[in-house]
Amino acid sequence: MEEAEGDTPVEPLDRKSELIRRIAVALYGHDGARTSSGRAAGHAESGARADAIALFRDRFEANGGNFIEGLSPEAILPALGEALRLSGVAGLFFPEDDAGARHVAEALVPFGPFTLVSSAEALQPSPPQTAGFQTADYAVAETGSIVQTSLGGKTLLPGLLADVHVALVSRAAFVDRMDDCLAAMADDPPRNISFLSGPSRTADIEQTLTIGAHGPRKMIAVLI
Amino acid sequence: MEPRSRSFFRNSEKALADASLQAAISRTTGKFVGARAASIEAFPGFEAARREGSRIKGETLDRLDRYLALFISEAEKRGAVVHVARDADEARGIAAGIARQEGVSLAVKSKSMIAEEVDLNGALEAAGVEVVESDLGEFIIQLAGEPPSHLIAPAVHKTREQVSRLFEQKLGEPYTDDIQELVRIARKHLRAKFLSAGMGVSGANFLCADTGSIVMVTNEGNGRMGTVLPRVHLAVASIEKVIPSLADLPVFLRLLPRSATGQPITTYVSVLTGVKRPEDPEGPEKLHILLVDNGRTAILQGKYRDILKCIRCGACLNICPVYQSVGGHAYGWTYPGPMGSVLTPLLAGLAEGAPLPNASTLCGACAEVCPVEIPLPRLLLELRADERDQGLKTPEEILGMKGYAAAMGRAGVLEALERFAGVVGRLIFKDGKVPWLPLKFSGWTNKRDFPAPAAQPFRRLWKKQRGIRPWSR
Repeated sequence: MEEAEGDTPVEPLDRKSELIRRIAVALYGHDGARTSSGRAAGHAESGARADAIALFRDRFEANGGNFIEGLSPEAILPALGEALRLSGVAGLFFPEDDAGARHVAEALVPFGPFTLVSSAEALQPSPPQTAGFQTADYAVAETGSIVQTSLGGKTLLPGLLADVHVALVSRAAFVDRMDDCLAAMADDPPRNISFLSGPSRTADIEQTLTIGAHGPRKMIAVLI
Repeated sequence: MEPRSRSFFRNSEKALADASLQAAISRTTGKFVGARAASIEAFPGFEAARREGSRIKGETLDRLDRYLALFISEAEKRGAVVHVARDADEARGIAAGIARQEGVSLAVKSKSMIAEEVDLNGALEAAGVEVVESDLGEFIIQLAGEPPSHLIAPAVHKTREQVSRLFEQKLGEPYTDDIQELVRIARKHLRAKFLSAGMGVSGANFLCADTGSIVMVTNEGNGRMGTVLPRVHLAVASIEKVIPSLADLPVFLRLLPRSATGQPITTYVSVLTGVKRPEDPEGPEKLHILLVDNGRTAILQGKYRDILKCIRCGACLNICPVYQSVGGHAYGWTYPGPMGSVLTPLLAGLAEGAPLPNASTLCGACAEVCPVEIPLPRLLLELRADERDQGLKTPEEILGMKGYAAAMGRAGVLEALERFAGVVGRLIFKDGKVPWLPLKFSGWTNKRDFPAPAAQPFRRLWKKQRGIRPWSR
């Protein structure tokens, strides 16, 4: 392997313009790229429909997710508590600044032998079996996806590290299509937009679908 | 990775003789083909999305200079450092320079074909970096020291027993033939790496020009871990990955997973824009984007531009009767199957890749399934013509084809030859089979009999039946 350093004879800025010039020559036979009008974003925002939730439920469950709905957080606690116990969850964590997630996680403690853990504990190489709670930014009906973003400094750890990811979804969060939520963020996208569609999976060994490759083994969306 | 496509025929013979490889290939391709068909059946908008995807990709390539310049400026505006590599050597040098400059000793990598193409791992390792592949399939073949054999299922040629033996030898884990347990072992080993790595290396499925965003699709979640947890993110992308805008992304997200694995959507789609913001609790403080040309501008210039539309779904591999028979390694380089048979000769040179466009029946199945309407059979034919123009065909082949064209172009000559062959054939080949042909033609008869010419050629029977005079057109 060669021992080249990152520095090369051409300055970085020149290298980029040189690449653009090279592409232009390849395309037009000269290096002055013609101007042409940009493509319009052109996707009208479509609002959430009443049946978006039903479609989301179908698609999300087809992706291997569990959908729980109830009239209030209190009403869904027994079902949620049981699902977490069955998954062997011992610790619950939530973003410090997510009041809804904190409320649900704290209320869940009596429903199982659960303890509240910090995000830092969930970041240990061998943490206890955890459930990560977070309020979802969007729920996309078309694909059955929960969308978590870093918008406004939000963390992504509950949907990333936990053994069970519990996404809390309000009715206002539902959109019909991927286009709708991307359009809402297109002007200034946050650092990370993640579409999460069911539990982490792999089929890399003998094409056998296996759940829980790197991310959550179970994904639960709770409609509140 | 050095191309070995010249040895395609020898590689193929080896692959055909390997029973466990044959079982693995047919299991994978069969499953993918079935899943793809079912998911498209369930999505009536597929054809419309396909036309739209093809149009967007085509228009982007026609103005790639403009869109790439926009991507670079938008990404830089959001804190990314954009690097440009003309070729594989430069890409390797830049990546090694980034690792040194950032003081990285451990990098977690998610799947990237371009990284494979330029041997990025080799460069990082030479710079003293431990590079850990985090996609399960890539992790397995990295432990085995083998290249990937499928675009999206790189370890398709390995059985669970082989994987477990590898984990036993390399990770010190007890033997098991339980796949769930094997996945758990990999998860445990890799989680520790994700949490301690200084750099995440990823590819990019798409680059959105209007926002400078990198888009990655994965099912395992390894790509997310590697781009959220480490301090530095190095994204490597070939220049044709650009699409004009974030608003164009959904159409490709409808096409790619359905064409690849038959999923309506991959488990994870990450849209990554810029570096960690002051208010963010995590995320990479440094984002390096390495754009690699490595022969693409030359392709852009000529009649093969359409191959740059490819979104690496693997659908053309799974459906191809040649790939189904010989698998990925036989192609001898990063890109197998029909798309590889076009791309390899263009990137590695026709002298190296010439066997690939010829190893095709031109059945057209690849073009039928391509989600961005790449006319693969036409491109394969063009490459065969280029091979002749570049003097890469043998004089016998040229003479043979000239003779063939002369006969096929003259009805009378063809009919005379057919009748002559019919008479001679009846005398020599009593059982209707030709068991042996000389010289170059022996390829036909090495493994099977060639049918002897029919006593009554079809043209003669046709004319007889319709009362047409012999020798007339």
